[in-house]
Amino acid sequence: MMIPMTTRPYALLQLVAVTLLVLATSEPAWAQEMPGLPSSGLAQQSLRPYWHVFIAYAIAIVLVLGWVVSISRRLKDVEERLKE
Amino acid sequence: MSISGMRRAGTTLAVLGLLGLVGVYWLSFFWVPTEATQGIAQRIFYVHVPAAWTAFLAFGLSALTSGMYLWLRDERLDRAALAAAEGGMVFATIMLMTGPLWGKIAWGTFWTWEPRLTLTLLLWFIFLGYFMVRSSTENPEKGKRFAAVVAIVGALDIPFIHLSVLWFRSLHPQPVVVKPEGPTLPGDMLTLLLTSLAVFTVLFFGLFLLRYALEGLRAGLDERTRRVSALST
Repeated sequence: MMIPMTTRPYALLQLVAVTLLVLATSEPAWAQEMPGLPSSGLAQQSLRPYWHVFIAYAIAIVLVLGWVVSISRRLKDVEERLKE
Repeated sequence: MSISGMRRAGTTLAVLGLLGLVGVYWLSFFWVPTEATQGIAQRIFYVHVPAAWTAFLAFGLSALTSGMYLWLRDERLDRAALAAAEGGMVFATIMLMTGPLWGKIAWGTFWTWEPRLTLTLLLWFIFLGYFMVRSSTENPEKGKRFAAVVAIVGALDIPFIHLSVLWFRSLHPQPVVVKPEGPTLPGDMLTLLLTSLAVFTVLFFGLFLLRYALEGLRAGLDERTRRVSALST
């Protein structure tokens, strides 16, 4: 659904507020864990490698596609100049 | 091969490579087993190692064609060197960005100044210099010759990168495929790694052909501009 231009800043503010709320509440959740136990923080630690894998795979795709787009743009530009 | 033929071949190989890359990602997430000690982060290996292989192949090709250009002074060899160097930079950047993401999980740090990482970063900067040298001279021919020397010097770094983990105390893992006693990687992981190596190689050659065709068209455009200006004077 398209957001009207006048309400777009409010939607952005809501997004920022929700993000800050999530960040703020995650800290006490960490603090409630028992520091002596080996499982402390395990849930957050175990998700981190997934993020690294996703980011690594995204970097590969973005750079390769970036090169593809760059080559195709330059080819198009040279072809247009050759047609002139 | 004509420029249009090269474009067709390049496009076909690039499309095959991109489809293959999607296949490699799928196999990496849904087929290959998770490594016992490193866990999910080991899957970065299926992008990092092929990117490294392709970068070294591209830089090696650039150095080879640069050497031949210095010898034969054939413009086509310089165009090939430029196309390969550009591809090498793309894949070296993938290697240098994906490695630290694995390193943060395995070593606890994104970067450490150990021999292999340092020499690889040096290689990246040498080839960055290749492009700077090309465009920094008033005489383009001189720039091409200087850049050719830079490419050859850069490629001399590649064997040192490979051997650095054997010669020096290094944090970087030892080779698991290219070693005298043969690969020590389990079957499925080796299959996916070799598949990924093939996909990255096909992708590189497809885009290399397109980039080479672009330089061919540019050379044609320059030639036409020279002829028009000669006729007008």
